[in-house]
Amino acid sequence: MAWKALDRLTPVAEGEAPLLSEALREKIRSFFPRYETKRAALLPALHIVQNTLGHVSYQAMEEIAEVLDIHPSDVLDTLSFYTHFWTHPKGEKVITVCRSLSCEVMGGKEVLDEIKKQLGIGLHETTPDGKYSLVTEECLAGCDHSACLLINEKLHKCVKPEDVAKLLADENNDKIDSERSDLFDPPPESAVTKTDASDGTSDANEAQEGN
Amino acid sequence: MAKIIIDNQEVECQEGITVLQAASKAGWDVPHYCFHPGLSIAASCRLCLMEQKMPHPQTREMGWSPKLMPACQTPVRDGLEVRFASDKVKQNRANCLEFYLLDHPLDCPVCDQAGECHLQDYSQRFGNAESRMVDQKHVTPKKDIGPKTLLYTDRCVLCTRCVRFTQEISGTNELCLTNRGSKNEIDVFPGRPLDNPLQGNVVDLCPVGCLLDKSFLFKRRVWELKGTPSTCPGCAMGCSIRVDQADEHVYRLKPRYNPKVNDWWMCDEGRFGFEYVHDDKRIAAPVVRRGKDKTTPEWQDLPGILKTRFETHVREHEGASVAVVLSPFMACEEAWLLIRFIRDIAPSAVLVMGPVPVEGEDQQFPAGATGDAVKFTILKEKCPNKRGIEMLLEAAGGETLAFDAFVEKATAGEFSAGWVVGGYPKAWVEKPVGKAAAKFELLVAQDMFENEFTAAADIVLPACAWVERDGSFANHAGLIQPFARSIEPPAGAMRDGQYLFETAGFEGIYSGERVRELMAATIPAFNEVCEAPPVPAHTH
Ligand code: SF4
Ligand code: FES
Ligand code: FES
Repeated sequence: MAWKALDRLTPVAEGEAPLLSEALREKIRSFFPRYETKRAALLPALHIVQNTLGHVSYQAMEEIAEVLDIHPSDVLDTLSFYTHFWTHPKGEKVITVCRSLSCEVMGGKEVLDEIKKQLGIGLHETTPDGKYSLVTEECLAGCDHSACLLINEKLHKCVKPEDVAKLLADENNDKIDSERSDLFDPPPESAVTKTDASDGTSDANEAQEGN
Repeated sequence: MAKIIIDNQEVECQEGITVLQAASKAGWDVPHYCFHPGLSIAASCRLCLMEQKMPHPQTREMGWSPKLMPACQTPVRDGLEVRFASDKVKQNRANCLEFYLLDHPLDCPVCDQAGECHLQDYSQRFGNAESRMVDQKHVTPKKDIGPKTLLYTDRCVLCTRCVRFTQEISGTNELCLTNRGSKNEIDVFPGRPLDNPLQGNVVDLCPVGCLLDKSFLFKRRVWELKGTPSTCPGCAMGCSIRVDQADEHVYRLKPRYNPKVNDWWMCDEGRFGFEYVHDDKRIAAPVVRRGKDKTTPEWQDLPGILKTRFETHVREHEGASVAVVLSPFMACEEAWLLIRFIRDIAPSAVLVMGPVPVEGEDQQFPAGATGDAVKFTILKEKCPNKRGIEMLLEAAGGETLAFDAFVEKATAGEFSAGWVVGGYPKAWVEKPVGKAAAKFELLVAQDMFENEFTAAADIVLPACAWVERDGSFANHAGLIQPFARSIEPPAGAMRDGQYLFETAGFEGIYSGERVRELMAATIPAFNEVCEAPPVPAHTH
């Protein structure tokens, strides 16, 4: 055929080894009793995998499907609905700048431009050192303190372009001070291959909790 | 029966259906995309919205609801009053359609669906002729999602019929809805293509030109096609289908709704399995052999030749024994005519059931379903009329034989004359039968493709494909299902029914219906044929 069509017949080439360790699979299975069906554990499973591996690759989606006994297309369907989930590696910290109305009016755009300039990356890009990724999102529910941005799950309010340098320099700019939900309790130390506490990405709770 | 009022008109309807179904049945043209009677209800396209009378929350007085309600999701109940003919409802349709068209490529001139597209039709009937869109439209590339289908992403109206089909009917779940909001797209998981034995149905379900059939792509404009009601010969189920042809060429097969057999669906094997019809290796003309001599008789002489040859044979051979192999691809009518002809001349002629092709196991969909949960079945018996031939053999009485036993006896020289009917789409003579075929003093082979019988036969008759004939098949459950003629046989050939009709001593034009009437006199089962019921005009 002379014209082009996206090839969906060939799998996305990724590493062969199973990405989900037995412990991780067990952690997902431990959510089964909470629901009537196994497929209902899909959201917790996605969180668990992203928290542990940093992102949910196509290979990981296939493995999740296997654990939940569903078709990988179901995993893709749900995962792609939420911008929270990444299908490719992201930086250690994700900066999410609000692009909704109040923040836009209060200079959110300028903050975004400043971050782009200082980090030297555009939207959906990651710095070469793997430290930061940059995205925008609709309202972060902090409109009364516009402009807002998130660094991982930590909400920063009333941000101005001149604050950006200081913010980026702060090692703890993503540490949240609220209590963690027990929903995504990290599995026992020994069970997971990656160490949790030390790395920022695995600190993830649901986004709202940081607010 | 429930009585509801639609646009001030009282409508009687079956309980348990939706207002949309009741209205369509009563002749209303209610636009809809997401609703399909064979699938679960999504109520997402918002085209079918209507006004409904409801009690006022404070005064309890009945009045029109301020909010529009989906007709596809509202079950009928006695006394319900709704209206479609109001400005509010009409405005909603026009607005929805404008939104559907906002980001829809207007590539109808190169879109296969044009002419049977419900976005075209609805926009014309219920929408606006002009677009107010001033911005650039999204251009999203098409996706190669499976061996048989292409997905033109930007033509999708996101009705999710296709997704629900793979979830609820085929049970294979390949399709999904990715992303959210304005970025929504239908997709498959990369490397897990849409590839199941019922995949062709998603193309029928798609109300627009998003999911298209690769085998039909750019072959023909649909308004040039002429549809004929038929029955699929692919397996013993006998799905009700429509044959779409143009210029005597079959372009595609589509299922017709038949709740007794196939509901709205058909399988790919049947849908795409008609290519042999246009194979140029088909036998197209009759041949009469005498020694090394080969002649092509005129069709009008043929009944006479056949009759004389068999009569002479029986007269001149003491103890002549005649065998007839009836193929499960013959129509009941054709088989009946042939039996009648042969038993008139040789009352003790042996009747043989031709080989019944069997492949694998019966397949139920969704996989693993049982009882009422089964939505579709593909049978392992890959021929349309074994049951019909059985009925005729039973009615005819006398000696019958299985095909293998026939070959054995024929090889031993036990038959002096024979008539072997094939007409199978694939090579059907599996074991060598050359020795058996050579033993006949008079052999007629009626077939579509050359084989050892046609090679040895004294008279070779072309058999026509089912789309070139008319008659009926009895499916596995004994339902007698008629099929009509869609195209002419290849040049030089004549419909089997016609020459068998004349050979059996009848005059005039053969028609399945005419012969069925004659048959019904002795075989009452043929009084009743199973026709697919009519579907309301404005449904799809
Ligand atoms: S591809 Fe067709 S059937 Fe599937 S959601 Fe889009 S418009 Fe509907
Ligand atoms: S608009 Fe930015 S937080 Fe609501
Ligand atoms: S909302 Fe009723 S048919 Fe789509």
